[in-house]
Amino acid sequence: MGKKDANVRMSLQTLRVLESFLENPTEQLSGADVHQRCGIASGTLYPILLRLESAGWFVSQWESIDPSSAGRPRRRLYRLTSTGLRRASEVFASFNRGVLA
Amino acid sequence: MSQRSVTHWLIHHAARHAPDSLAERLEEEWLADLERRTPGVSRLRFAIGCCWATQVIAFEHQPSKAAVGTTAVGHTLIASADQSFGFISLRSSTFFLVVSLHIVLISGFMTALSHTHKSAVPDPLQNRDLPHSRPDTVPPPLPTPNLNHVIIEVPNLETDLKYEPDPDHSVTPGPVDEQLPPTPPTPLTPHIAKQVAGGPGAGFPDTVDFYPPLSIHLGEQGVSTVRVCVDAKGRLTSDPTTLKGSGSARLDEGALKLARAGSGHYRAATEDGQSVGSCYPLGIRFQLKN
Repeated sequence: MGKKDANVRMSLQTLRVLESFLENPTEQLSGADVHQRCGIASGTLYPILLRLESAGWFVSQWESIDPSSAGRPRRRLYRLTSTGLRRASEVFASFNRGVLA
Repeated sequence: MSQRSVTHWLIHHAARHAPDSLAERLEEEWLADLERRTPGVSRLRFAIGCCWATQVIAFEHQPSKAAVGTTAVGHTLIASADQSFGFISLRSSTFFLVVSLHIVLISGFMTALSHTHKSAVPDPLQNRDLPHSRPDTVPPPLPTPNLNHVIIEVPNLETDLKYEPDPDHSVTPGPVDEQLPPTPPTPLTPHIAKQVAGGPGAGFPDTVDFYPPLSIHLGEQGVSTVRVCVDAKGRLTSDPTTLKGSGSARLDEGALKLARAGSGHYRAATEDGQSVGSCYPLGIRFQLKN
C-alpha cells in the first residue's frame, strides 16, 4: 500500500502513536488499542495510521477470528515493520538530541 | 432513532466518502473499534471523528495533493499548514465543522430539555389585569312577590281506623279505676232518685247474744257505731269498722262481731225501688235490763 519507506510528516500526535508501538515493537495493535494508550481522537488517529502504513512504517491485517463464533467483528491490527521500527527510532533519537542540545 | 443507529449511520456515511479502495475496510475497522468504546457520548464522538478522518484521508489520497502533504523528516517537529480548501485551510474548515456540529447537538439537547424543564417547573406567578367584567347597564329590578293570595293546600287526611278484636285475648281489660272522674249529670233532664237507706233486716242477730259477759258483770252500757258495706242482697262486701266507740273496747268489739254475724241479713238500700249496694253507719246499743 502506497510508497515504502517514505518520509512522514511528523506531528506531536504522530510521535505519540509511534511511541505506543515502540513500547512493544512486535505487538499488533488496533486503532482502539492505540486510542486507549495515547488518547488521540479518532479523527486524528486513523489518518496517522493510514499515513504511516502508506509510508511503509506499518503493516496491517485483519484479526484472524471468526466474528460469528467470537461474537464481535474482527479488528484491523497494525504492526511496525522493520523499516518503521528503524525510522521511528531515528526520529525519537534525533528529537531527543534536538531537545537536549 | 437510537444512538446506536446514529453512530452506525455516521460511520457508514464517513466511509462512503473515503477513497473507494479504503471505504469498505475503514467501515469494518471503525465499526469494530466502535464496539470497544463505552456506550454514550464516547461512541458519538468516535463516529464524528471518523467523519473528520474521512475528510483528511480523502484529501491526502488526492494525486495532486498527496505530494504536498508530506515533508521531509527533520530534527524538529513540523506543523504543516499546506492543506487547504481554497480560501479556508482544511484545519479551519474542520474546526468550524466540528464547532457547528457541537452547536447543533447542544441546541438540540437544550430544546429537548427545555421542554421537560418547562413542564416540571411552573412559571412564576405574575400579576395581570383582568378584563372589566361588570356590566354597565343596571339589570331590571326583580318582580315584587305576590304575598296576598297564598293558597295552602291541605291534603285530605282520611282516618279510617278499624277495630280488630284480639283473637288470642292477649290483652285483657284492666279493673275500672275508681278514681275516674264521675260523668257530669245531664242538666237538661234532672232526675232525683228516691233512695232508701239500708239497715238490719229479717233474721238479724240479737244484741244480747253478742253482749260481752264481762261487760254485763261490770255493768257497762253504751252505743257503738260501726260502718258496714252491703250489696243488693244484704251481704257484707267488706269488714265492718268502728266509726264511733261506746267508751268500752269490749262493747265495741262485741258490736263488730254482731255486724259481721249479720251478713246476709241486712236490708239493702234502694234507689227508685231497686236494691243497690251501699255503705252506711249502723248504731248498736248495749243496754242492761233492770
